[in-house]
Amino acid sequence: MTAHSDETKQLRPGLWETVNERYPGSMITKDDFVPLAPLRKPLSESRLTFVSSAGVQPKGTMPFDVVHPVGDYSFRRVPSTSNPSDLEIHQIKYPTHGAVNDLNVIFPIERWQELAAEGVIGGLTPNFFSFIGYNMDPERLERTLAEDIAEAVVADGADVALLAPA
Amino acid sequence: MSLQYLKEAVAVGDTEKLIRYVRLHLGDGNEAAGRKEIDKAWVGALKLLLDVPETDREFILKTLAERDAATLAHLFFHLHFYLVQRSGEWIHDGTL
Amino acid sequence: MQRAIEHRGIPTVSVTVALDITEHSKPPRAVFVPFMMGHHFGVPYHRELQRQIILEALDHLVKAEWSGEVRFLPITWAQARREGKAIEEAAGRMT
Repeated sequence: MTAHSDETKQLRPGLWETVNERYPGSMITKDDFVPLAPLRKPLSESRLTFVSSAGVQPKGTMPFDVVHPVGDYSFRRVPSTSNPSDLEIHQIKYPTHGAVNDLNVIFPIERWQELAAEGVIGGLTPNFFSFIGYNMDPERLERTLAEDIAEAVVADGADVALLAPA
Repeated sequence: MSLQYLKEAVAVGDTEKLIRYVRLHLGDGNEAAGRKEIDKAWVGALKLLLDVPETDREFILKTLAERDAATLAHLFFHLHFYLVQRSGEWIHDGTL
Repeated sequence: MQRAIEHRGIPTVSVTVALDITEHSKPPRAVFVPFMMGHHFGVPYHRELQRQIILEALDHLVKAEWSGEVRFLPITWAQARREGKAIEEAAGRMT
């Protein structure tokens, strides 16, 4: 299915250009595609993990560093059994008014719990994974944070993963 | 800017590139806004000291003496954001 | 990051509101929603829409045939907001 009308086009056009112009060299560009990993079992038997760069974290964990000029390359584990009231957002680079009213608009933890309970997905990994998307050193991001999260996702026994940015 | 770009600027002493990066960070990608933010933080700090209130100088001197330079630099960034937040004119609403 | 996970044998799908960024970063599978940043799963209290986006993403995960394939969701931001508002108003009337 491809987009046709203007209404289904990107709401804020030229995001890559805008961010890259303001923070030159910070945006990732790839020239190739990674081969698709196949699903090994049906979704209803698969354990799902969720990875988010929206800066959502459990209350009481060290806040994501939104002031550091080069960014924050750490991640937090968010127990997949969490209630939205157990979580808070540390982010200044995306509009949070929707999330403040209903966290599920960027971190749909309640929807995941429902779908697992209904059997649409086999289950959830014990943790979801969260970081912030302000990283001015994309090389460092790829070398450290991307690998750290990928390893943690594997260690948590994920069969499939859904990712969403801020 | 990529880190490589910034490190090269440091190596050749190109402070204009470096301060531009700071302004972009503080101004959410807008250099002019970043300049204003820097001024705002300093004005905010000045206002707090105009009446010469009691301050914890021991804590300040202890912190400066005991903490490493990187921590103090990081604190400097935290203090900037603290002061601009106090000013009541918070520009970081996440819209590009 | 999505690529790093896929590389380890775990199939992945992402949700994006920035098609141009997705075109640059080339994740294995992605679903595009024409929504505002900070609202990848829709609008507050609109449980059905949030589910719909997730289910479409999961369906794409299962059905995508080639790396880099992007699926487009047949809903507009205006519609999402209209429905969200209606839900909020209905809830307001009930309490």
